[in-house]
Amino acid sequence: MHAPVAPGLLPGRAAALKITGLRVEFPTITGQSKVVVRDLDLAIGAGEIVGLVGESGAGKTTLTRSILNLTPTPGRIAAGSVCFGGLDLLRLPERDLQRMRGRDLSVVVPNPRGELNPLLTVGKQIVNIARVHLNLDGKAAQVVALDMLRAVQIPDPERRMKAYPHELSGGMAQRVVIAIALVCSPRFIISDDATSGLDVTVQAQILALLRQLVRERDSAMLFITRDVGIAAHFCDRVAVIYQGEIMELAPCEALFLSPRHPYTAMLLAAFSHNPRLRRGWSGPDTAPRQDGTQPGCVYAGRCPRAQPLCVGSKPVLGEVTPGHWARCYFPLETA
Amino acid sequence: MSPVLEVEGLYKRFPIAGSRSVVQAINGVSFSIGPGETLGLVGESGSGKTTVGRCIVGLIEASAGTLRFKGANISMPRARRPRDLFGKIQLVFQEPAESLDPLMRIGRSIEEPLLTRGGSAVERRERVLRAVEQVGLRREMLDLYPAELSAGQQQRVGIARAIITRPELIVLDEPTSALDPTARAEIIELLMKIQRELGTSYLFISHDLSTVRFISHRIAVMYLGMVVEQGDAAEVFAQARHPYSVGLLSSVLLPHPHLSIEANISLKGEIPSPINLPSGCYLASRCPLAEERCRHAMPPAEDVGGGHLVHCFRHRDVARYDRITDTFEQFQQEAERILGIHDGLPAA
Amino acid sequence: MNLLLFIGRRLLFIAPQLLGIVLVSFMLVKSIPGDPAVLMLGPTATPEAIASLRNSLGLDYSLPVQFWIYLQHLALGDLGTSWQTTRPVLEDLLQRFPATLELVTLGLLTAVVIGISLGLASAFNRHGVLARIADFYGLGAGSLPDFWLALVLIFVFYTLLQWVPAPLGRIDIAVIPPNPITGFLTVDCLLTGNWEALRSALGHLLLPVMTLGLINAGPILKMTQSTMEKILQSDFSHYQVLCGIPHRMVVRHALHNALPSVVTIISVLYGYLIGGAVLVEIVFSWGGAGQYAVQGVLNSDLYPVLGFVLFSAIFSLFVYLFVDIIYFTIDPRIGH
Repeated sequence: MHAPVAPGLLPGRAAALKITGLRVEFPTITGQSKVVVRDLDLAIGAGEIVGLVGESGAGKTTLTRSILNLTPTPGRIAAGSVCFGGLDLLRLPERDLQRMRGRDLSVVVPNPRGELNPLLTVGKQIVNIARVHLNLDGKAAQVVALDMLRAVQIPDPERRMKAYPHELSGGMAQRVVIAIALVCSPRFIISDDATSGLDVTVQAQILALLRQLVRERDSAMLFITRDVGIAAHFCDRVAVIYQGEIMELAPCEALFLSPRHPYTAMLLAAFSHNPRLRRGWSGPDTAPRQDGTQPGCVYAGRCPRAQPLCVGSKPVLGEVTPGHWARCYFPLETA
Repeated sequence: MSPVLEVEGLYKRFPIAGSRSVVQAINGVSFSIGPGETLGLVGESGSGKTTVGRCIVGLIEASAGTLRFKGANISMPRARRPRDLFGKIQLVFQEPAESLDPLMRIGRSIEEPLLTRGGSAVERRERVLRAVEQVGLRREMLDLYPAELSAGQQQRVGIARAIITRPELIVLDEPTSALDPTARAEIIELLMKIQRELGTSYLFISHDLSTVRFISHRIAVMYLGMVVEQGDAAEVFAQARHPYSVGLLSSVLLPHPHLSIEANISLKGEIPSPINLPSGCYLASRCPLAEERCRHAMPPAEDVGGGHLVHCFRHRDVARYDRITDTFEQFQQEAERILGIHDGLPAA
Repeated sequence: MNLLLFIGRRLLFIAPQLLGIVLVSFMLVKSIPGDPAVLMLGPTATPEAIASLRNSLGLDYSLPVQFWIYLQHLALGDLGTSWQTTRPVLEDLLQRFPATLELVTLGLLTAVVIGISLGLASAFNRHGVLARIADFYGLGAGSLPDFWLALVLIFVFYTLLQWVPAPLGRIDIAVIPPNPITGFLTVDCLLTGNWEALRSALGHLLLPVMTLGLINAGPILKMTQSTMEKILQSDFSHYQVLCGIPHRMVVRHALHNALPSVVTIISVLYGYLIGGAVLVEIVFSWGGAGQYAVQGVLNSDLYPVLGFVLFSAIFSLFVYLFVDIIYFTIDPRIGH
């Protein structure tokens, strides 16, 4: 069961992309399937940046790929829809999807030096995208690519057009990947942990650039990250994901200043250097991890506040206060 | 008290095969670590901090400079060091999974450092059990293989392996950067507990400033193979005097939307290649305060009080420009306010 | 680094490499048991005759001295004389080496066409029929001996169907071959416009070329398949899919990245086949260089063996040089 209403857009906003009841499963050796994304509802408004925060293994990357209908093998989408521009991406033929990827929906990936084709110049790689998606001839695509390199503030862009990926620093390569993602001015961008390999001073530059370009184009963005700190400073709204389920979803300020879900509290407490606070929020380490087949809340095993009810049945993602959603029977009180 | 480790004028150059240029990985690093003290060594990738750690444990040989461990010269690689120092300096790696032999049971991995040093099997077993208990692992785990543990547990094994020889100094090379926040917090807590109980000194190498801030007594900030600023941790964080430290600090994003470290100094571009370093201050090309003299001569270390050393001609201006309040401290108070009101819970 | 500099540097190393190869093979050939003098004079020879022949062949000198004498002759372009053919080895090889090279080159080209196209087809659609054929083929080709396949082909296409001429040499005895210009029979026929000879030569080439092609397509197919699969699973291929690059283009970029590995296996096969095709040469009575060298080994005829080693070493070194040039032009990371 999932919440009847797709959780939340800010009032008066049209959805750029709306995920409803998405469920992604992976087959296991035992024959049962492991649910990696479970009954996920999320709507992202036009021009909005929504953060998706979770630890490794929470299903973030699977979600990214599934939105583009490219679920990593051997996973499969078991249920749900991804609405984008009046179309359900999960039911479109591959030909149409291919035309939309990179043009209407694009992805910014981390570790860019491994993601770029080592044998082609970066200019050529941007030109390829422009030619494929914008139907430009070689010359026009060249101009567009050069403009894009300028837009991502790469110094000496004419020379960099002819550079190969191995000749770029990590920060430069990250800018190239952003240029590739934005060259068609997509309406929706997914940033998949895009700054995770970068040094902090470079990360700050890249984040500022990404935000500026996304705002200029009025694109919507799903910003996936492991770094709670980045989410706090970069996003309009933030969703916290655990074991493939959204635990809490709220405007950025509300989520960080008055978290309602014990899991969010635990994530934040991990940054505290007060051991008492930290231990108070982290549950017993020995607790067996729930794999979602149990009836209760997926976090019940680790939750210091778990009650018999939490183990017995699964809470829905409910609206605690307007715009603030939490999947918890006993949401925390606010300060 | 006399320091456990003294590093003086350390240099390391790596020749590049087939070319006459060299990678200038470390360029004159000096610091010391007292007994039971943690020195946080921070810097971005390419700053040479890992190389410093490897020179100290003797995995690589420094090109110049001296290393002294409790007065004894240890400037040579591990194999040629005095035998009685074996096991006194240990290393914990960044990737716990990669530093453990995947085909060796945990117990055996932990025992391994003792094997070359005699002692009966019973004695070794006892020490393994003791180490396992100290790092908070259960005895049953000794028979497991690394792949059967979580990343946090693997790192605990790495720490157990390090403390089993009763070292006086542990070089921790980014021990938490591969971990999720919760596991990270637990490992930090464990390291602090071990230090309290055993009085071990740490060289804590990390790029994660918010972690370094709370585990370190003193901090050394590295840039392109140089320690550009070092001093008391609270002091450096509250009153950074080097533009690079300021830039680094202001880039840290704390999980609190209102708390960002505002600074007037922001660094341009990226860390340059450590091949053919410029004359003058290495930061000059990225520093908004750089002037003519910065491009010509490397500023000497200057003590701005209480052993707070800065390599910058304009450190007074930095202090005037940027009064970085200790935002990290502020965040801790906020976290306690936000999360602490539920104190006494779990029971709802 | 510029390409000419790169080639120049490689060429510098060729002379010492060749010297090493000659030295090693000289010592190896000398260590083969059997006295050439005894073999040359036959079973009825007197000890005195054998001793005097040994003396005139220079076999009484120590090994280093013998090697030195060989080198001196080599420097003058004299590769020695074969006592079996009683002709200078250089002449023999100039006649036979092109025969082998022609056979091996055409065989390998066939293998490349089969291997790469099947490998690509299976990478294009991992679950398609072609992929399954490719898997089966890769398995089969690796486990069949080439001479056996040659015999089967002869049985089917010559004995049963009579589609091809008898497996005896490179051309019908009744047809007069053109005067050698390049030594490659087909090329010489084309150059002289001798169409009758060309048809006969192609007919004789058909089965041995098919044999070598079918057998050696196996490793090329395997390499293409596995490299393509690895590259299509790599981050940058996934990223191209995420960016909506058409499948066709993704595969083309992957092939570009796979080329160095495929070229490597082709070059290794090329070098190997010069000597490795000898069983096929024997089955088809080809009269090539491999056959010549094996006869030399069997009869303690030293100079043909050494000459063959030298020829194929030079050939291999140039093949590898060519491969390095290909790497250099494909991959911008080499030379930086």
